[in-house]
Amino acid sequence: MALSNPAIGIGYRRHIDEWTRANLARFDVLEITLDHCLTGNDAARAAIFDLVGQIPLTAHGIGLSIGTDVPVDLAYVDEIAAIVDRIQAPAYSEHLAFTRVPGRDLGNLLPVPRTQQVAESIIAKVRQVQSRISVPFLLENITYIFDWPDSELSDAELLSLICAETGAGILLDVENLYLNASNHGFDPYAFLDDLPTHVVKEVHVAGGVTLHEEFLPRPLLQDTHSHPVPDAALDLLDYALKRQAPAAIVLERDDRLDAFDEILDDVARLRARFARPIETSYAATAVGSPD
Amino acid sequence: MPQRLLDRQIRLLEHLTSRACIFGAARGVSNDPTLLGLDLGLLHLEARFSHEKRMQKIEWVLTRTLELLGNKRAVVTQEFIDACPPAGISWLENARQFHGFLKTRWRSQAPEPPYLPDVAAYELAYATVRAGEMQAPIRCDDVALPGAIRRYPGAVLLRCAYDIRPILEGNDGAPERRMNLAVTMQPGTDVPQVSELSCDLLEILEMLDAFVDPAMFQDMPEVEELIQNLAASGLIEVHR
Repeated sequence: MALSNPAIGIGYRRHIDEWTRANLARFDVLEITLDHCLTGNDAARAAIFDLVGQIPLTAHGIGLSIGTDVPVDLAYVDEIAAIVDRIQAPAYSEHLAFTRVPGRDLGNLLPVPRTQQVAESIIAKVRQVQSRISVPFLLENITYIFDWPDSELSDAELLSLICAETGAGILLDVENLYLNASNHGFDPYAFLDDLPTHVVKEVHVAGGVTLHEEFLPRPLLQDTHSHPVPDAALDLLDYALKRQAPAAIVLERDDRLDAFDEILDDVARLRARFARPIETSYAATAVGSPD
Repeated sequence: MPQRLLDRQIRLLEHLTSRACIFGAARGVSNDPTLLGLDLGLLHLEARFSHEKRMQKIEWVLTRTLELLGNKRAVVTQEFIDACPPAGISWLENARQFHGFLKTRWRSQAPEPPYLPDVAAYELAYATVRAGEMQAPIRCDDVALPGAIRRYPGAVLLRCAYDIRPILEGNDGAPERRMNLAVTMQPGTDVPQVSELSCDLLEILEMLDAFVDPAMFQDMPEVEELIQNLAASGLIEVHR
């Protein structure tokens, strides 16, 4: 299959390894969750490394917790860096979030207060990560249920500030933006307008569920990575691509993984709306190349 | 005076991992000085989702164990929340934490059903072997001679008080009968194998923490064939 621009693919999941390999030609790129290389068994690691050279791979992390107000775990970053090199990923992305504090790990992404002081702390840590990783570093916008009352910057302002100071790119999770805008009542198009041009280097899409709780003023959209991508999220992506040129769009799926038809339908929808055939390789259009 | 972000984050995670927040019905805005202004209803949702995710990881490993807890599962889970805050994101780490909690609980309250400890130990062993984790003690012995043998570090040996095979096959009840199990990964596979061991073989394998010269077993009948079979089963490692 000819590669497309942006490259379109899925997040690699071990549970559907066989199916993924059988359908490899349908994807331009697979996103590897690096932490699965750190915690998986030999067979899981071997399965991931076996993909190198078969299809372009990009690198995503879930264990950095860059928002925790402690020094970056440099040993972890070095382990990640080695895997990034081994899978020949053109970029390494992580969440602008925190998941743990010393002695306690929630295992869920939590927001940081969006203040100038927090931004400065994260800027310093991003620089540390960049100094140890051989490829561009991307920060992903998370979805959050609660927000800190002392947040003084918008989501877009915090991301833009960090990226402007460090040269980091953004992994734009369109589903997270769609959910946050609905759950917290802000304009997602304004968020996109507030991002610098060409700062988005990769994109995540996914589909979740709607939760009804009697104490909530409106239904809560939950980021479960379990259902087809909503059209409204794809409309947002359409709008984003007017000013952004990401190298890859990755469909995230972590639940109902056996709904293969839905996964392929989503990939087909992405391809129909966003793919433009090109002759150059994914690496040549990768995130580090000049705009 | 502004509070340190880390102090706020620590207090937040204490709150989100507390039984009161996970199951509680508090609403409105927090007046805890460290969490001032945070929406308690939304924190409850965050806590509930995180807890459900954690329990899914535990259930992935300890499936039958949780089923066998039956109507005590809710009480046990609540005690677990109080005793063991989440310390890692991996499913194995969370399952190991839950298993450790159960073992402590069984010191003061008899397990019900009585074969539950065997089932839990087996399920954790199976997941551990599948994950490829090496068991302590592992003594690296670079000076071992070629042909020296030791227990394969990825193998788990279990001394069971009950025959839990009916339970693992989805049936009810486990007859009381001492049995020894080995959970191993055969070379070149990624699905654990389970085999029953004689008492003699179990004791030998338990001794083989470090590489030893197989000549020490020369009095055993057909020792070479036995070593070959044990190596093929992933129970021992032959130094090359």
